[in-house]
Amino acid sequence: MDFEFRFDIVWNNFPLLMEGVETTILLSLITMVLGTVIGLCVAIVRLKARKIFALPLIIYVEVFRGTPGLIQIVWIYYCLPIVTGLQLDAFASLVIAMALNIGSYLSEVFRAGIQAVNKGHIEAAAALGFRPGQITRRVVVPQAAYRMIPAIGNVFVSAIKLSSLCSVLGMAELMYQGQIIIANFFRPIEVFTIVALIYLAMAYTTSLFMMYLEWKFAWVRRDKMSFWQKFRQISRSALQIKPQGEL
Amino acid sequence: MTGSSSINGKTLAVKIRDLHKSFGTLEVLKGIDLEVTKGEVICILGASGSGKSTLLRCINQLTVQDRGEIHVGGDPIGFEKSSDGEHKKADAKTLAEQRSRIGFVFQQFNLWPHRTVIGNILEALKIVKKLSHVNAEKIATERLEDVDLLDWKDEYPDTLSGGQQQRVAIARMLAMEPDVMLFDEPTSALDPERVGEVIDVMKALAAKGHTMILATHELNFAKDTADRAIFIDEGVIVEQAPAKEFFASPKSERLQSFLERMSN
Repeated sequence: MDFEFRFDIVWNNFPLLMEGVETTILLSLITMVLGTVIGLCVAIVRLKARKIFALPLIIYVEVFRGTPGLIQIVWIYYCLPIVTGLQLDAFASLVIAMALNIGSYLSEVFRAGIQAVNKGHIEAAAALGFRPGQITRRVVVPQAAYRMIPAIGNVFVSAIKLSSLCSVLGMAELMYQGQIIIANFFRPIEVFTIVALIYLAMAYTTSLFMMYLEWKFAWVRRDKMSFWQKFRQISRSALQIKPQGEL
Repeated sequence: MTGSSSINGKTLAVKIRDLHKSFGTLEVLKGIDLEVTKGEVICILGASGSGKSTLLRCINQLTVQDRGEIHVGGDPIGFEKSSDGEHKKADAKTLAEQRSRIGFVFQQFNLWPHRTVIGNILEALKIVKKLSHVNAEKIATERLEDVDLLDWKDEYPDTLSGGQQQRVAIARMLAMEPDVMLFDEPTSALDPERVGEVIDVMKALAAKGHTMILATHELNFAKDTADRAIFIDEGVIVEQAPAKEFFASPKSERLQSFLERMSN
């Protein structure tokens, strides 16, 4: 094989990639926060409100889960100003598109998590004289939050990768910066390999954070291990299935 | 009408008038009337689906009746008196306050898995009764002693046997010092060898003079402990009598055949 890998091109242009990383992180973080707010609101309205209010939300969830993210981003970027007359800057319209996409997935995660709480546990609290808000805070949230963390992690990780689509609209995030280097040096394999590794690093950091949350929110803690001790133990027995709520 | 009336000089704890409840087209309760005096222990017997659980659940409004009134300690449950003397539907705060005075023990225990044994008991004392941690802990410890589970206070419910979990659930209910205690088939989900320990706890409560209404299949418990036994079939009270008389000489044919089936 006479192909010669030229990773030095990537290293020489690394600051360019890092600028992209900054934008990617900013895009992703804002998307996650906004998406969580949207998802929570949608889930709560779908669970609590009358059917008539739920219907538009069901349509929203199905549309944003069922169409390509790229088209959503492009559509909101170009069509929203035409339809509404609202002129947003590129960053804002991309964040809105991604947050709507991520929010549709998260709303289903939240809805499932809330619905999975044992009705008996809720009735027990009601029978003891808890008010609805107290039941939510003391029984539903602690149980649902813990169960939802892994699924939320999934969606957050896909948010990071979703942000790469913003390159299509000229947002100078990691993918876009990579493509600029490729266009200049014609070295797609090396650049894409490194760009992929950087995405992996960001995704894995997110996964670790979610694992930390899972440790933090565990209902049952029978040992006094720190997160890192626990993390090593989990890594060693990665495939062992533990009872619910226990870490 | 007032709920604080009395019969034979005894104070009424619970008064139920013409209670109806349907689930879809299925009419589960078809007009139940029941009066329970303070300190009385009542066992409700009946086949599965006869309406025992629904009746108990209506008393603390986990199930809301279609028609009929329930008074506990004189208060119309699920309703509140407005300024013009009319009854209107109780708001969440009033209902929660009413429920806090009615103890309920579930067939499936329903301990919270995210709290320890003592945590389960502290929760309601702190959240509903707004007690300080110290005061709540004192009460919780005493109630755990009552059910002989103080050694298990820092364990999580999933490590306890069914019988132990049910005793914790009873301790949790007791800690709230309810005026009336409702038990919805408290031993039906237990292994046979674990039934006795829960029965013993309930007998001790009855001996202390608590007002108790139990839906149960434990005929011996009903015979020994109940002041009055009630037979419900197809949503109506078919027969009720002092427990000894109830079992010794059942009058209706339906109760006779029920008791016969149960003792086989």
